[in-house]
Amino acid sequence: MLSFTPDDPLIFTTGLFLILFFFFLLIYNFLLKKPSLRIGFLILFSFYFYYKSTGYYASILIVSAIINFFFAKWIASTENFSVKRLHLFLAVIINIGILAYFKYTNFILQTFSDIANKDFSPLDIFLPIGISFYTFKSLNYVFDVYFDTLKPTGSFRNFLLYVSFFPNILAGPIDRASDFLPQIEKEPFISKEDFGKAIFLICLGLIKKVVIADYISINFVDRIFDFPLRYTGVENLLAVYGYVLQIYCDFSGYSDLAIGIALLFGFKLMENFNYPFKATSIADFWRRWHISLSKWLLDYLFRPIQMKYRTLRTFSNVIAVFITFLICGIWHGAGWNFILWGAMHGFMMSFAMLIQKPRVKILTALKIYNTKFHKFLQVFITFHLVALSFMVFKNREFQSVIDMLDQMVTFFHGEVFIQFVEQLPLIFGLIVIGYLFHFLPSRLEKFSIKFISSFPLFGKVLLLVIAIWIAAQFKSADIQPFIYFQF
Amino acid sequence: MISQGLKEVILKQLNLDDFDLKDETIAPEVPGWDSLNHINIILAVEEKFKVKFKSYELLRLKCVGDLQKMLDSKLNK
Repeated sequence: MLSFTPDDPLIFTTGLFLILFFFFLLIYNFLLKKPSLRIGFLILFSFYFYYKSTGYYASILIVSAIINFFFAKWIASTENFSVKRLHLFLAVIINIGILAYFKYTNFILQTFSDIANKDFSPLDIFLPIGISFYTFKSLNYVFDVYFDTLKPTGSFRNFLLYVSFFPNILAGPIDRASDFLPQIEKEPFISKEDFGKAIFLICLGLIKKVVIADYISINFVDRIFDFPLRYTGVENLLAVYGYVLQIYCDFSGYSDLAIGIALLFGFKLMENFNYPFKATSIADFWRRWHISLSKWLLDYLFRPIQMKYRTLRTFSNVIAVFITFLICGIWHGAGWNFILWGAMHGFMMSFAMLIQKPRVKILTALKIYNTKFHKFLQVFITFHLVALSFMVFKNREFQSVIDMLDQMVTFFHGEVFIQFVEQLPLIFGLIVIGYLFHFLPSRLEKFSIKFISSFPLFGKVLLLVIAIWIAAQFKSADIQPFIYFQF
Repeated sequence: MISQGLKEVILKQLNLDDFDLKDETIAPEVPGWDSLNHINIILAVEEKFKVKFKSYELLRLKCVGDLQKMLDSKLNK
């Protein structure tokens, strides 16, 4: 049970993690006054955590840490700009090379075989989970040292902890070295507010993941996405709404758990979601969805391209946005659905930029510019464009997307909605509650954290036990890995 | 200290009548200064002061004070 089991990662919502984490916290608290032992123990636990999910591939972490630690050191050690650039180039090639080998080899070979019309049997390559996340996390350090906005750390031990830190190793947040490294040697201090926030996030993450995401996926969304033609248009539409909520609750629930767990022993990770479906444009959506990735892409991909071609003005933005989101799609997975998904986002944002001026003119002429109705329209349209893109994201076969849309247009049967509500009241209720909570004012979150912070310790523990109990009631027999693990 | 000239160029690009730009001000704090508009501000600064920045230099900037320092170093050359 304690050794590596393929396809059974040590995820936060399992009983085994709960037990291990309890003992981890116990020992960690004993070591608070002994920084070296505390940090060493944290690294050991992180490696065990990752070993449990990937076996001996966990050693890639050491390779990744060595490569990036030394390349950053070399970059900082020279004033010669060409040498700096060469080192950066090599670091990027090696990091992306390792990532590409594990993640894209079969996809590339398959594509070539398809073009040549040959049969192809995939190579047996194990994909170590989380590799996309920690590759980007480590690269962020090298880039910042290159741009001279961060001094390289002299401690390999601290850098190894940054790369392997267990709360964010499997699916982010893709934390910044500049925020994380300074926290390592400080004696952990958890304020009353932090503790309340950690409990709030862990409870919320459990409910989002186990109660909403898993439950609606197994019992409703997957069934319809698997056989869209067996269902009416209205059911297909509800399944799309269900999936959008599922992927949000799955991934943001994971982030909540990661941030909450790290906070419990004194580490602050970056925020990853900010009510994404309240977005008023696709660009706004990306400021609220998977923020740690979108900020990474903005700083290390979009801006360099944008600045290089800046004399082209708007077109430099268009080119940079399109390339950035194409790569964002590829980062998510080796599949045409992900590439198309990224291209869609790139296209939607570029298009919005190009028509910005005429759009404002038309809306002003219609006297709805900057009105409440305008904002509602923006949120409504943005949400549905995002939903459409997630249909592409989920369906590996593009034909299924066409089938679902076709059902919605030609076989809608709105009256089936009543039957749906009557037959699946819990699914319907969870979807409604999920969206309702999403669209409530964000003040509520701050208020809840403050409220929980005021509880005595017993109250906080009780709240956590209740959340775990509710999650256990909903938990299916099969373990549902987090969607974002596959990336 | 942000010079009057630099302040004027930035505010003109953002269509702002006035905004208290300090050394430590960062782009998201200024209305309209987003990642897309950033390019127009940089181009306007380059045109007005007849300087040319390197992409690498622009990517290091963290706040308005950094932009001012970089501009000063170009103008004093």
